[in-house]
Amino acid sequence: MVTRKLAAVLGVFALVLAACGTGTTSQAPDGSAGSTDCTVAVSWNNFQQPRWAAADEPNIKGAVESAGGTYISADADLSSEQQLTDVSNLIGQGADVLILLAQDQNAVLPALQEAKDSGIPVIAYDRLIEDPDILYITFNNIGVGEAQAAAVLEEVPSGNYVLIKGDPGDPNASTFLPQGWDDAGLKEKVDSGEITILNGPEAGSGEWPADYGTYTDAWDTQTAQENMEAIIDAANADNQTIDAILAENDSTALGVVAALEAKNYGFPPLSGQDGDPANLNNVALGKQFVDVWKNANELGKAAGQAAIQLCEGTAMEDVAIDIDSSVAPLDGNSPTDFETPGGNTVKSLILQPTPLTAEDLDVVINAGWYATKDDICAGVTDADPGFEDCQ
Amino acid sequence: MANVADTAPASGQSRAAAGLARVRGLLGATEVDVRLFGMLVALGVILLAFNILTEGRFFRPANMVTLAVQAIPVAILATGMVLVIVSRNIDLSVGSLTGIIAMTYAMLMTDWLPNVLGMGVDFPMRWLIALVLGICLGAAFGAVQGFIIAYIGVPSFVVTLGGLLSIRGAIWYFSNGAAVTGLDPTFQLIGGGARGSIGEMLTWAIGGIGCLAVIAGLWNGRRQRRRFGFPVRPIWAEITLGVLGCAAMLGLAAFANGNYLPPGLASEYAREHGITEPSGGLKVPAGFPLPIILLIGVTVVMAWIATRRRFGRYVYAYGGNPDAAELAGINTRLTILKTFVVMGILAALSAAVVSARLNGATLDIGNSYELYVIAAAVVGGTSFAGGIGTIPGAVLGAFVMQALSYGLSFMGVNSPGQNVVAGIVLILAVAFDTWNRRRAAR
Repeated sequence: MVTRKLAAVLGVFALVLAACGTGTTSQAPDGSAGSTDCTVAVSWNNFQQPRWAAADEPNIKGAVESAGGTYISADADLSSEQQLTDVSNLIGQGADVLILLAQDQNAVLPALQEAKDSGIPVIAYDRLIEDPDILYITFNNIGVGEAQAAAVLEEVPSGNYVLIKGDPGDPNASTFLPQGWDDAGLKEKVDSGEITILNGPEAGSGEWPADYGTYTDAWDTQTAQENMEAIIDAANADNQTIDAILAENDSTALGVVAALEAKNYGFPPLSGQDGDPANLNNVALGKQFVDVWKNANELGKAAGQAAIQLCEGTAMEDVAIDIDSSVAPLDGNSPTDFETPGGNTVKSLILQPTPLTAEDLDVVINAGWYATKDDICAGVTDADPGFEDCQ
Repeated sequence: MANVADTAPASGQSRAAAGLARVRGLLGATEVDVRLFGMLVALGVILLAFNILTEGRFFRPANMVTLAVQAIPVAILATGMVLVIVSRNIDLSVGSLTGIIAMTYAMLMTDWLPNVLGMGVDFPMRWLIALVLGICLGAAFGAVQGFIIAYIGVPSFVVTLGGLLSIRGAIWYFSNGAAVTGLDPTFQLIGGGARGSIGEMLTWAIGGIGCLAVIAGLWNGRRQRRRFGFPVRPIWAEITLGVLGCAAMLGLAAFANGNYLPPGLASEYAREHGITEPSGGLKVPAGFPLPIILLIGVTVVMAWIATRRRFGRYVYAYGGNPDAAELAGINTRLTILKTFVVMGILAALSAAVVSARLNGATLDIGNSYELYVIAAAVVGGTSFAGGIGTIPGAVLGAFVMQALSYGLSFMGVNSPGQNVVAGIVLILAVAFDTWNRRRAAR
């Protein structure tokens, strides 16, 4: 925490410098390809995860600039306070539409209010903000959990499962992903006794899903590794075998693989999410069974297109996006109503995630994802399940 | 100290008190470091408690080996942190430093050496080149920080806090935030894992050497004391210590050999050695994992530096009284600089273990290590007032902290619970230590 606060202080300082530097140059360029003179602003919450800078940003930027708009942005480096400053600055720089990746859905509300007061439409990007006036563009996070569990349950319909969850403070980790697992039938099988959760209380005692599985502070790989080692030791001491592992994302799945390797345990079917290069490589090598991939290229395109249309005065419900059909929302390419957990009804575009097993790696290889074929296929030989797609 | 045993208890005292005084007297005669002994007892109590709570599933060789290996990165760093804290400084940058060196190892082995320098993927000794470069990098970082602290006079808290932030940022810059995996197979052995154990015979050999070292140390100590006319321990105390120390070393070796190779590797071993596997699977003792050997080495060398080398004694002299040390002609600035160089080298060793265990590096390696390392040193009896602290104590401190964390994970307690327990133990340990010290001073 101390680190983050200090980073925030330094960040503010840097931003003041940056603001002074750019104050005179933030004019809209002319002679652009399209017809619009829209300025689309993006407030990122953190660039520490590689995906934002590598996939989301270039696609938003591409969609905006190909329509003739101007792209401006700021990165809050995991600080809610910094994000408030960022949004003020972006509005000051003449933003017409704001795309907001909220660091914290409550702390960001003052920034949202400021944008609304200036008459700027706001797109809540990837993460929900509780406000009826936003356009919510995201992947179906419950669907991610469902895709993870569906793939693993098909492979291992009964037996001993281990659940590796993410940070306890993230609603994705504690609520949405486990809800998706249940949608795929995990809870039913636990109740019927077909599946036993090794790292949880006896079936039926304790609260589902909160008391089952192991949380990983900050989604930290090393923490996941140490927890998994202890779980393997405990299973061995009980003479139980681990048949399958549901890990909520790729950083935790990476720690699980390291623990399995350290114990030479073999590789029971394991899930992940994000499409990180190291994990896609593990999928190709047969160390991770499924990686649920959110094609952020298409998410970025959708947000960029929607932003331009909103800027040009299109009503929110009339926005129409044009993206790859495999990830397009089930409800069509225009926003539909979405009931938030906070009781608001917002317009939303909810894209579909893509589960990737070793057989579907060509999908991600051909999609221009930031994990290149070299990354994904490193060290893959003809004995590995991903060999065919790596040819 | 030995005299206490001979003074008869006052007639008014109860029998229990007399018994206690007698035990204390006997302990005094053996001249065992009471603090260290207390830590060992505490560690034993923690392990025993977990064993009871898990109905005997906890205290098994395989589990204890996992616990030990998990404790090693922090334990290695803690040996250096003792010197830093003893000399009245602090190093908050160790976690970030470990992280950046881990990332350097990973980048060197997966990208820079093979792609940039054009060495083949299976270039021989690639792991050693990476390790040497990592150690140099750690020493260089330490030297820069140490120079700013010792020669420019910026407080170590500030310098290393800046190091914590900027080095963490540099890791992110290098890696673009992505995990880098796929290290050299030989390098991976540094992390232990399934194959990185030294095997049965070498484990016995190390146990034997440990046993002989205990006896040789006692004999040499007795001879030296005689030579300089110091009082010697009673002969029964010498023999007890020798037998107990020797038994502990051999017992540890036997215990480590109770950890068997995983079934898959055991089958491989059987094929290679032409043994037909029995029906229940072959039990091949694995012995000590390599990182434990590394830790033993680091502990012995660091303890030797701290207690026997001029540099180490200067550190303690400075910590006890900086002005007196300066007036006595000690080059205090160089001494301080060196403590940070040592810290940097240890960060490189710690990073080797972490990245080898993970078979790669991620952006978050070493996050909040500085806190665990300082906690380990402090639980191990290092005082923030300076001048006090031992290397074995800090290593034991790291094991105590990790035993709690591992034990709670083993029982399925989630991380918020683990943090609460770790925090309480930290405060209790220091409170007990302070109370004990004040009592001893009376």
